[in-house]
Amino acid sequence: MTSDNLEALRREVRDWLRANLPKGWGTPEYVPPTRYSRESHELGKEWTKKMYDAGYTGFNYPKEYGGIERPREEITVIHEEMARTGTPGGPLSLGLLVAAPAILVHGEEWQKKRFIPKILSGEESWCEGFSEPDAGSDLANVQTTAVRDGDDWIVNGQKVWTSMWEFADWGLLVAKTEPDAPRHRNLSYFLFDTTTPGFSRRPLRQMSGEAEFGEMFFDDMRVPHKNMMDEQGRGWYVAMTALMAERSFGGTGFTGGMAAMGGLGTSDLLGTNSLVELAKNTRRYGQSVWEESAFRQRIMQTAIEMEAMRWSGARLAAKMRKGGQIGNEASLLKNFQAEMRQRRGDLTCEILGAYSQMVRGSTRAIDEGDHVYNMLRARGATIEMGTSEINRNIIAERILGLPR
Amino acid sequence: MEFTLSEEQEMLRTMARDFLENECPKTHVREMMEDEVGFSRELWKKMADVGWLGLVFPEEYGGSGMNFRDLTILCEEMGRAVLPGPFLQTVLLVGMPILTAGTEEQKKEYLPKIASGDMVCTLAVLEEDGDFWPDGIQLKAIQRGNDYIINGTKLFVNNARGVDYILVAARTKRAVEPGDGITLFLVDMTEWGTYVSPLATMDQTRQQFEVMFNQVAVPSSNIIGELHKGWPVLKEAALKATAALCAEMVGGGEWVLETTVNYAKERIAFGVPIGSFQVIKHKCADMFSGLEYSRSLMEWAAESIKDDDRDAAMAVSMAKSYCGDTYKMVCDHGVQIHGGIGFTWDHDMHLYFKRARSSDTAFGDAFYHRELLAKAADQ
Ligand SMILES: Cc1cc2nc3c(=O)[nH]c(=O)nc-3n(C[C@H](O)[C@H](O)[C@H](O)COP(=O)(O)OP(=O)(O)OC[C@H]3O[C@@H](n4cnc5c(N)ncnc54)[C@H](O)[C@@H]3O)c2cc1C
Ligand SMILES: Cc1cc2nc3c(=O)[nH]c(=O)nc-3n(C[C@H](O)[C@H](O)[C@H](O)COP(=O)(O)OP(=O)(O)OC[C@H]3O[C@@H](n4cnc5c(N)ncnc54)[C@H](O)[C@@H]3O)c2cc1C
Repeated sequence: MTSDNLEALRREVRDWLRANLPKGWGTPEYVPPTRYSRESHELGKEWTKKMYDAGYTGFNYPKEYGGIERPREEITVIHEEMARTGTPGGPLSLGLLVAAPAILVHGEEWQKKRFIPKILSGEESWCEGFSEPDAGSDLANVQTTAVRDGDDWIVNGQKVWTSMWEFADWGLLVAKTEPDAPRHRNLSYFLFDTTTPGFSRRPLRQMSGEAEFGEMFFDDMRVPHKNMMDEQGRGWYVAMTALMAERSFGGTGFTGGMAAMGGLGTSDLLGTNSLVELAKNTRRYGQSVWEESAFRQRIMQTAIEMEAMRWSGARLAAKMRKGGQIGNEASLLKNFQAEMRQRRGDLTCEILGAYSQMVRGSTRAIDEGDHVYNMLRARGATIEMGTSEINRNIIAERILGLPR
Repeated sequence: MEFTLSEEQEMLRTMARDFLENECPKTHVREMMEDEVGFSRELWKKMADVGWLGLVFPEEYGGSGMNFRDLTILCEEMGRAVLPGPFLQTVLLVGMPILTAGTEEQKKEYLPKIASGDMVCTLAVLEEDGDFWPDGIQLKAIQRGNDYIINGTKLFVNNARGVDYILVAARTKRAVEPGDGITLFLVDMTEWGTYVSPLATMDQTRQQFEVMFNQVAVPSSNIIGELHKGWPVLKEAALKATAALCAEMVGGGEWVLETTVNYAKERIAFGVPIGSFQVIKHKCADMFSGLEYSRSLMEWAAESIKDDDRDAAMAVSMAKSYCGDTYKMVCDHGVQIHGGIGFTWDHDMHLYFKRARSSDTAFGDAFYHRELLAKAADQ
């Protein structure tokens, strides 16, 4: 790859972005859709499809499953250009984060060919049905059942806290198939179509106001046997792969690792520069917040933690290039990013003082109320994908080898 | 930036660990803590023989031309062993200024001697205010014929006893900018008028001294770099030494983590290993996490210096402040999880605990480096 070619690619991406970004993007006239809304979902789908067709997303998957194979230098250039302008996010889906990685590892050939391409292109959206009212941290305690009936399984039960429930075309499902088998060997893993009769869903409103998660009900829902992933009774292990992928991508995702995995949106609102700008532009008690040593220190601490995350992501990527796999360190990445998101959210609101209370909808809200939204949403970050406590247990027991 | 070690680098690490386990066990460290000089010239010579002192110098000056990341691998191992002695001082704070700013004669004369272990050095910058910044440098050097006469006192000088040369930062000109008018003198310790007295400090694994200069005559041929222009040279050397110190801190922290986790697996209370209690587990998990993120920043800083990256200064400040905070936290937990035994002089935990504290204050503490970063963002 010559640097001339790379420069040509850089120009190509730049021109492409100029031609394809939503009208007014990057100017004050552009008003993004509400984060969790159908409008935002549709924009994300459309945007991902465009990027995919242009060859700017869908990396890290083999060609036969719809992956876009490009040299690493090219991918870096593409991501750098995307980061420069910022881009819309992807669809409201757990497809890239959870479904595709799990299917790639555990799926049958037809499943990989059928499902992964449409995840990469953004055409089909996914949700993950693991948690239940009595099976959260203790996921092995799943009570939803699936009973074999000819070529089908009949599913009955309930899932809760299902993110992106509303827009999912497909769902991942863990259900009990061997009621008498020991823990961890009694579950199986299914891919189900959300238009199947017997399936219903409804919103659950979060403390941040929107219903990003919801609940799902299965009332004699039929799932064809071929949609079982991996072997019968191995659902727990598949779920663990899915969770590990989710944790590690989620863990690097905050600083653009997720964008690196597949083109999810990047927003400078999360960058250090914007935090410094916010402090410089906010006056409290007659002076700029940026003048205040205590704030300068905390803002720089945040900057340091963001870089620590970025380079830990780079170290992990280097390990994977050498043929290593993401293992339990996923828990490390996940906790760090979740806890720093909370610190960051608190810091931002403390910078804004009284104005931090204004949510989206108020004409006086700063940055559309995004800062207070981020602060609130971050409370969920230490609960979803395994709580901070569960992840610390994993680090201590599986990495450090401390007794259970 | 690669972030994985090459085969040669892995070998260097293994070799360094074996060497230090044999040559620098804790019995040696404790002996040196009680010693008036505080480090062993005999061990120093052995380190030279395995090529550590000249590792990063070019071959023409008796070195082996390896890179900065290679050096930090050694530093990690030195931190793990709490090796006493002015390694960073000799190689990075004195050797590097000679290499980057010295004359050809100076390089030919001194660098091979440093590499062979015959010339041990340290740096004297800090004075009464105790801060690493140009404003604090008040000690004066006044020209007299071909010599400069140095008068004044330096504090917090590492291993000033037992070294052959001290690189002294002195004021040679009154200037508006504090960074201007500072000159670096390589002072021969056999020269008349240098008085070295120990400072009773907490971290005895790295002894510090007060050095008084009374009418010490230094030939102008011993000026390193240009007259009045010593501060930028020093700043650059300090950047490297700071990154190397981060490597030491990560190496030391990893020893503390391993030792503590092993103890938690073995120590029985209430009939079970204390490592089965969740509060202990979570502390260990936090130690591990802190060290992993410290390592990421440290390796980034080391690679940036190696590649002469324009972000190097930022990377080093970030690494120093994060590694400093983390090393202290890791040692806090290390002592606590050991219970009563962790509070004793006989247990090695306090050696690391104190190293963490003294390393944090060296070359600017975490607070100082965050403020440096903020200043860079002022513009
Ligand atoms: C925003 C958000 C999105 C989510 N999205 C999804 C989704 O898409 N799909 C899905 O299946 N689930 C989803 N979840 C559910 C999530 O996985 C669970 O909430 C989580 O696993 C915790 O389970 P729980 O809520 O039942 O809490 P519990 O398991 O009851 O935990 C309660 C408290 O006890 C602690 N605790 C439990 N066990 C231990 C232990 N062994 N040691 C120490 N402490 C312990 C927990 O850390 C927690 O603090 C989401 C949750 C949130 C908040
Ligand atoms: C300065 C000092 C003065 C002292 N003076 C006296 C004195 O005058 N007289 C006297 O009799 N003793 C004295 N002691 C001893 C002191 O009471 C013990 O050190 C203390 O009770 C801890 O016991 P241990 O050292 O055996 O540690 P351990 O009990 O082995 O504990 C090791 C670690 O495991 C943790 N741990 C242990 N059990 C649990 C649990 N169930 N849950 C969670 N964590 C646990 C502890 O908190 C500690 O972090 C003194 C100790 C010190 C440091």
